[in-house]
Amino acid sequence: MIRRLLKAALPGLILLYPSLPAFAATCSCAGVPVLIYLDTSAIEKGDFFASYTADDHQINDLVSGSDDVPDETGRDRASFSQVLSASYAFTDHWSVSALASYVKHERKIGSSSFGEVSASGIGDSVLLVRYSPFYISPFSRHELSLGLGLRIPTGENDIVDVFLLSEDMQPGTGAVGKIGWASYSYAFNQAATLQAFTSINYTHNEENDRHYRFGHEFNFSVGLSQSLGSRFGYSAVLRYRSTEPDRRSGFELPNSGGKWIDFIPAIRYAVTDRFGIALSGRIPVARDLNGVLQFTTSYSYAVTVSYGF
Amino acid sequence: MASRIRDLILLFIILAPNAWAMEPAPEFAGQDLNSGAQISLASYRGKVVLVDFWASWCPPCLESLPAWEQLRNKIGTGTFEVIAINVDEDTDDGIRFLRNRPVSYPVLADPEGEIGKPWGVRSLPRYFLVDREGQIVATYKRFNPGNEARLEQEISTLLKQ
Repeated sequence: MIRRLLKAALPGLILLYPSLPAFAATCSCAGVPVLIYLDTSAIEKGDFFASYTADDHQINDLVSGSDDVPDETGRDRASFSQVLSASYAFTDHWSVSALASYVKHERKIGSSSFGEVSASGIGDSVLLVRYSPFYISPFSRHELSLGLGLRIPTGENDIVDVFLLSEDMQPGTGAVGKIGWASYSYAFNQAATLQAFTSINYTHNEENDRHYRFGHEFNFSVGLSQSLGSRFGYSAVLRYRSTEPDRRSGFELPNSGGKWIDFIPAIRYAVTDRFGIALSGRIPVARDLNGVLQFTTSYSYAVTVSYGF
Repeated sequence: MASRIRDLILLFIILAPNAWAMEPAPEFAGQDLNSGAQISLASYRGKVVLVDFWASWCPPCLESLPAWEQLRNKIGTGTFEVIAINVDEDTDDGIRFLRNRPVSYPVLADPEGEIGKPWGVRSLPRYFLVDREGQIVATYKRFNPGNEARLEQEISTLLKQ
């Protein structure tokens, strides 16, 4: 556990950490949780935010149910994502967010180069409409946001490397995902420097052209965030994630889907009042996965730079 | 192409503070924490007014208060006035700050947001420029030392109209 923490925190110590992406919504897009980097907090009329995130997701833990299993195959699996997101508020209550991604998957089995597979390309996109009936301000401690969105299959889903690559190695899912989500935040003081928040979201995945359907996904998060002075801040989130088994032609794939609890720490630094940089990590706390054996997240970390107009 | 995109971004940044331009300023009235006199925004019609929302826990706001004092002294109160609205939940926090760093312009207390909510104040600092006819001509969400120079130019332009 300590080793995992160090692995996740080290890049942060080097780079300092940026403006917080809200860890409210997340989904798997061919194994890449791009939605996690979409800021879901309420924003103010006329505000425009843009951010760029680079994410390194290591997927090397071999698990049977909730037990770790030694991996003797020498397998090495990782996904690297670059995510551009932008949010704009038309009114104090209504805003839209959009997200585009570029994804690279790598898999290596054993020491031979024959066991190496790599695929990269444009990933899926997300469009989200958000309604905030009330929001945190000097006169209110409460904020509620509700959102509906679509994951749009802009990503490549037919990359061939001798054979057509498996779905989890494709940059895109090839199918639409319908997203529903809600989040609530409470500010412990008028300056809102300390906040607690919770969010819930659900993604309903459709079947792609090859009759493959990623499992529907449910996420529930609780967390705290605090600003330290005008520049630094941090957050800590505990997230429960559950996905149904994937299906091909209607039949469940046995070694897919499950339940995870992750710890998501983040630190941020506001370089100026418009420009911020942040570092976040994802550390598995517990998991209970379907089937006999599954490879799953070892850890991930991401660097985000954001700019507000 | 790159320079065109840069110009568009710069134009957007310049225009962003004026997103709420030319809306009637919501009226308000209250007791001046400095003099005890009853004041209202309407009574300043004919002057350009800087309405500044602030709190003792907002560091940029505390930097802006003396800057407005200097600006007011420079332009003169014949054609220009500053009205500061303190939004501390406990007004005593604001009063304590003013004891140490007094200002000569009117300061009203708004702990419940009766003034701030109609003005759409969601975060601090937040200040508004109101023209002689009572229209909000600019809204600002940030304060950095030196901002008052730009504001002075805008006030000067408004006073010439």
